[in-house]
Amino acid sequence: MITIKDLEKYYSTDEVRTIALNKLSFSVNEGEFVAIMGPSGCGKSTLLNIIGMLDDCDGGSYEFKGHEVSNYNERKRANLRKHNIGFVFQSFNLIDELTVYENVELPLIYTGVKPAERKKRVEEVLEKMQIMHRRKHFPQQLSGGQQQRVAVARAVVNNPTLILADEPTGNLDSSNGNEVMDLLTELNEGGTTIIMVTHSEHDAKYSHRIIRMLDGQKVTENVLA
Amino acid sequence: MFKNYIKIAWRNLLKNKGFTAINIIGLSLGIGCFIVIMMFVSDELSYDKYHEKADRIYRINSDAIFGGTELSMAVSADPMGETLKNDYPEVEQYVRLYSSSGAKLIKKGSEYIEENRVTHADSTLFDVFTFKIILGNKKTALNEPNTVVISESAAIRYFGSAQDAIGGFLDTDDNTRTLYEVTAVMEDMPRNSHFRYDFFFSMDNVQYPFGSYLSHNFHTYVVLRPGTDYKAFNENFPEVIDKYILPQAAQFMQVSSMEEFEKAGNYLAYSLFPMTDIHLRSDRGVELDANGNIQYVYIFSAVALFILILACINFMNLTTARSSGRAKEVGIRKVLGSEKKSLIYQFLTESTLISIFALIIGLIFVKLTLGWFNDISGKEMVMDALLSTNFIVFLLLFPFIVGIFAGIYPAFFMSSFQPISVLKGKLGTGHKKNYLRNFLVIFQFTTSIILIVGTAVIYRQLNHIQKAELGFNKEQVLVVNNTGIPSETRGSLLEEIGQLTDVISASFAGFLPVSGSSRSDTVFSTETVITDTNSFNMQTWAVDYDYLENMGMEILEGGRFFSREFGSDSTAIVINETAAKLAGFDDPVGKNLYGMTQSGELTTFNIIGVVKNFNYQSLKQNVGALSFRLDNNSWVSAYRFNTDDVAGLVETIKEKYSAVAPGMPFNYSFMDESFDKMYRQEQRVGSVAVTFAILAIIIACLGLLGLATYIAEQRTKEIGVRKVLGASVSNIVKMLSKDFVKLVLIAFVIATPIAWWFMSKWLQNFAYRISLDWWIFAGVGFIALVVALFTLSFQAVRAAISNPVKSLRTE
Repeated sequence: MITIKDLEKYYSTDEVRTIALNKLSFSVNEGEFVAIMGPSGCGKSTLLNIIGMLDDCDGGSYEFKGHEVSNYNERKRANLRKHNIGFVFQSFNLIDELTVYENVELPLIYTGVKPAERKKRVEEVLEKMQIMHRRKHFPQQLSGGQQQRVAVARAVVNNPTLILADEPTGNLDSSNGNEVMDLLTELNEGGTTIIMVTHSEHDAKYSHRIIRMLDGQKVTENVLA
Repeated sequence: MFKNYIKIAWRNLLKNKGFTAINIIGLSLGIGCFIVIMMFVSDELSYDKYHEKADRIYRINSDAIFGGTELSMAVSADPMGETLKNDYPEVEQYVRLYSSSGAKLIKKGSEYIEENRVTHADSTLFDVFTFKIILGNKKTALNEPNTVVISESAAIRYFGSAQDAIGGFLDTDDNTRTLYEVTAVMEDMPRNSHFRYDFFFSMDNVQYPFGSYLSHNFHTYVVLRPGTDYKAFNENFPEVIDKYILPQAAQFMQVSSMEEFEKAGNYLAYSLFPMTDIHLRSDRGVELDANGNIQYVYIFSAVALFILILACINFMNLTTARSSGRAKEVGIRKVLGSEKKSLIYQFLTESTLISIFALIIGLIFVKLTLGWFNDISGKEMVMDALLSTNFIVFLLLFPFIVGIFAGIYPAFFMSSFQPISVLKGKLGTGHKKNYLRNFLVIFQFTTSIILIVGTAVIYRQLNHIQKAELGFNKEQVLVVNNTGIPSETRGSLLEEIGQLTDVISASFAGFLPVSGSSRSDTVFSTETVITDTNSFNMQTWAVDYDYLENMGMEILEGGRFFSREFGSDSTAIVINETAAKLAGFDDPVGKNLYGMTQSGELTTFNIIGVVKNFNYQSLKQNVGALSFRLDNNSWVSAYRFNTDDVAGLVETIKEKYSAVAPGMPFNYSFMDESFDKMYRQEQRVGSVAVTFAILAIIIACLGLLGLATYIAEQRTKEIGVRKVLGASVSNIVKMLSKDFVKLVLIAFVIATPIAWWFMSKWLQNFAYRISLDWWIFAGVGFIALVVALFTLSFQAVRAAISNPVKSLRTE
């Protein structure tokens, strides 16, 4: 599904150039659950952003479902992204001014789903995430665990083939964290590919394969299952 | 999608109530001002457009230079209209208005009412102008002598209703007594007319030596046939002058051709002037009403636009300033697949929504303040004016225009946020240099400073005029019309009132150095044969023995005024300094001047004194030549008084008048008030300017307040760190204010020359004017700075005294 070859990324300020990704190569197959680990600053979030087409790379190639996307413009990337990729962030990133229902509905609006269909799908996914009773609440009225469940609901409502999770349990206590991990596992079992960045060895154990990074390079890669 | 935008916009507005309030209030003030001024401007522009033939109606203006005096008049000679119609087929019709006979007394029951809105008109009145007739036949209404067409309100005043008025008679004081039959009742004339009459009397009743081309006393309007170019038509006037006017003039002057006439330094020209331009572009002698001024229309339009821009800038500034609050949302939306384009639409929807609110509040604001604005501007505007098609279209489009104008920059700015950086909270802070924002603040303060300087100068100038050395004493003079008082008893009445303890002196005063008084301008020369080199135009005022002293005028030479003991005769005159100078007399007393009387005879006048120049016209003009002559002018009396109980004195005098002439209106005025009337337009402009200057600075300060709040918020962490390291409150306040102070100072530097240029141009309208002192500018700059600092200090102090532990924890 994803093939990355010699991927490079720099961050430059006026005087210093920092290498975030240094000729990184790996691939992910359809239906896989991959965890990316490594110390802070090793480039794992940068990698996730490039995979999620939120960021450009400075060198190398990135193939998504057979399309070379490294040279796509913003519009094409946005289009590819909204139909194929769901995001889960450490800090949930829900829109504070929208209710639970409206937050989850948002991706469907952007992909142009009809209102009746939207209602059906949002309710379905809220039901599945067991937050239907909270649908009229605003994010700040929910606990962290609930907020992350909403974020997951939002990530999957469009039935994406790929979910990118950036430390999804980072802001949660262990029981809420486990709940979120169970959700992700369940989605993966349903056929969704998942790439997750994490600091937690515990969370990484839910995956099929762990890629360990250091200084923008892949260090090891171990298959778990 | 759209619904989602509105929802988000609405919730955002509610979430940041403070910002929303500042934003919407600022914008509504701006929009409100803009609408009020637009109403004012469109009212000014609408004058006389309601006539069906409005674009084909022209007034005949006359311009003359004669005896060194330039005359530009709104009147022309009585045969002119008919001559044009007979000789030139392009002229479809003409009508003359004769208003020189002034007010009329009309009897109602046993009392007389003084009516000022009266004129005599030709029977062709309705062929030229469009007035809606309620009852009667407009074709024949003024065909006969002793007929009158009256307005509906006049009909109600005298007869109770239009129906009762038709066929009724008005009992007037014309030629002691004339009855006029009401032949038609028309709707009251619209306010936006350059003349407004309630009574159109038949021209046949005018006592006038008709047929003279040399006297200009008629307002003549012609209708040109469709397609006629009036400028081309004006080329015909020299022919008219040759054919009709010169032959008549030759009887009085030794000229036989236009060349000779012009060679002698004289000039005579007629021209057609479009009626719809009269209100704003005509300021001639003998206008029928005080006109507006196109200059003020331009100035106010510019001010309106500037205030609206100021308000929009606030919006831009505040919105971009607090964009960090929206950054996360932008990031998420982009992650979820939103394109930049749809984010731009979203923010534009939001700004449009805000401007719709602002428009509604602005309209409420207009409704609440319109009465007051009418008071200061002298208008009678109503909210209904907004229901015209033009305004409705304008009001519907307006929020979109404002919304897009004010929202376009924030929309592009915010929609270009990069999702990863904003989601990680890496968004640049307000501390970063934002040149555009600085530019906008400078623009706002520049505009405000210019407006305030303008206002200050206008006020000082008006004050200057009021305190100017006039050459006469306008204070505490009561002026009473001797209407209805038999002329033989006026003298004894004057004397009787003059003996009241509160009355210092009394005199007849048909001519007064304030507006609304009689004027008479004729040619005088130093020799018996009038040539261009020895003649000049001079006013002649008929006064009585006590006039000069009563008015507080100062005699310079001759040592005496007219005096009863010496029995000055009717050929003795007192002249002013300008007259002495124009005549070229170093020692004028005892010398002679020769003047033409109305009958065309040359009379010799002997100068018995010189009076110090006093201002008898607007202080916009220099003092012209003037002379006093002893004559009967007893239709107005002036009483100089000294009392605290002015109302009581007026009552006492009124009783004395009523005793002599029961049932007659008692019309009086105070001379200082009549004097102030001459500057009413400037005063109105002044008040309007003050209002808008204050609003401009309020809007600018609202913007500043919002920005300061934001900056303080952005720098919370920095402030916290600085406080931990030992910075005092005043250090912090200074730090936060410094940047803004710099901007205000830059604005001051830019505003000063612009304001100086505009105001020195305006001051050139006045012959007596203040100088533009440096301290006006310095003072205004100082005020702007103080107001800005005051606004800033609220936020700066709040930020500075906040607990650093708390501010650091937010990171």
